[in-house]
Amino acid sequence: MIRTHDLAKSYRNTPVLRGVSIEVEPGTIHGFVGPNGAGKSTFLKCLVGVVHPDDGEVTIDGLDARRQSVAVRRRVGYAPAETSLYNRMKARELVTFSIRYHPKADVDRAVALLETLGVPPDRRVGALSHGMKRKLLLTQAIASNAPVMILDEPMEALDPEARRHMEGVLREECDKGRTIFLSSHDLFSTERLCSHVAFLHHGRILRNGTVTDMVAGLPGLLHVHLREERTERDLPEGPGFTWTGSGRNWKLQFSGPLEAALQQLGSLPLASVRDDGGNLEDLFDVLYERTVGGDA
Amino acid sequence: MSILRHWLRDAWWIVLGYIVILEAAMVAAILYWPKFRDNMPAIAKLVPFESLQRLMDSVEIAGYWPYFAVQQWFKGCSLFGLAAAAFLTSGIVARDVDQKTVEFLLSRPVSRSRILLTRWCAAVGVVIIPVYLTSITAIWISPAVDETLGWGDVLVSSTFMSLFLIMLVTFTAMVSAMSSHQMRAGIILIGVMLLNFAFYLIQEIDEISLFKTVDVFVFMKIQAGQFPWITTGSFIGATIIMLAIALRIYARRDF
Repeated sequence: MIRTHDLAKSYRNTPVLRGVSIEVEPGTIHGFVGPNGAGKSTFLKCLVGVVHPDDGEVTIDGLDARRQSVAVRRRVGYAPAETSLYNRMKARELVTFSIRYHPKADVDRAVALLETLGVPPDRRVGALSHGMKRKLLLTQAIASNAPVMILDEPMEALDPEARRHMEGVLREECDKGRTIFLSSHDLFSTERLCSHVAFLHHGRILRNGTVTDMVAGLPGLLHVHLREERTERDLPEGPGFTWTGSGRNWKLQFSGPLEAALQQLGSLPLASVRDDGGNLEDLFDVLYERTVGGDA
Repeated sequence: MSILRHWLRDAWWIVLGYIVILEAAMVAAILYWPKFRDNMPAIAKLVPFESLQRLMDSVEIAGYWPYFAVQQWFKGCSLFGLAAAAFLTSGIVARDVDQKTVEFLLSRPVSRSRILLTRWCAAVGVVIIPVYLTSITAIWISPAVDETLGWGDVLVSSTFMSLFLIMLVTFTAMVSAMSSHQMRAGIILIGVMLLNFAFYLIQEIDEISLFKTVDVFVFMKIQAGQFPWITTGSFIGATIIMLAIALRIYARRDF
């Protein structure tokens, strides 16, 4: 659905994208993760034609985004990270203006979605909070009914309730067959929402694949609280076990299945055990510390 | 809401102000004509700069037409049209960059050339329609001061003046397409035109001033049936070239 090959972009001889190749499969939610300045927004802008790549290919829904940019944008509902909008318009007018050039846009749905999200449709955009503007941007991308949605930092500035609601809406859209490609700094939200994820750093893809596969390869991490104090010598050994901590509070990093690790803890006076490993945040740490020397 | 409606809605108060000021200035000038005519020798003595004195001389010799041409086109349309072009067109591209709405706008399924041409056409319409409106009003009002203006002369002169203004609009659009600040694009237009007016006031170099192409002597020639085809061609040529440059810059620019 979205495919880039060797996409490159420089600003004044400073490379921002260095040959980014990625494929986003139809009907999936694909996350795009990376630290500030990694090139995420530039990449997304290249997809929708706001920025012109220096080299490489971009195709969306089989169309060449560089040569058929208008046709491509008809197939894309895009929500930029920037929330500066036309302040004199009312929220309803802005979404109408925004989606009027999309062939399958649904204005009624847009207004209904605004109301559901708590954005007053007749309030001027300039009077909306940052979070409400974010909802407005997401609403117009959803109501465009375009087969592809490209969302730059969609959850930024949303409160937890709105975030959960929006995640639900995006999942529903994905279930209807729409493809969603979103950038985010929120790794927990990305893990909950996305089936696939790509990590970008210094304009290069570090890793791209399914969230399940990526997380499965990570060492596990348990926070272990004991009823009685123990020293490191008293703690059990197991496959890939590394203990850190002291007294009653310990962290156990392990490889292999969680169940096997828990079995090994049976001899300890356990007060509580919390599984805190094997998530995207750990993978992020591993990737950016190992691959780029911790300069993320 | 379309791109055109959105642009016009943001610009309507400038448009209204431009029409009202142009109309008021024209009506006031016409109603002042009898007093001006009667006191012409005294007023002529007060006029500074040789270039402006030559304008006065032409009015003294030829009467109402050069007076009207100076008031309506050389002063009114040049001055207020210039201001309108600066306000309306400087934001054609730069305003979206300035206000950070450019990413939102350009990610819509509309081509950049369509956006620019839509706004350019709207700016052209808004700048030149009042030129015709006020000129036609002048035809009706002139009998109040016992003078007449010919429809043909007024419409041809208005068209010539409009082409001059379209060139200014296009120049501003071109600067706006290169710029990230609306104010800067407007200031560049006004700066260039002030420089041109300064050149116009110096007799030795007034030939290089753009205002020389729309001063009273040109309109006197138009009334005499000598239409300035070469100047008109230059206006149109410059407009086409600058519009092409603006479109190319906008199409290739990253935001």
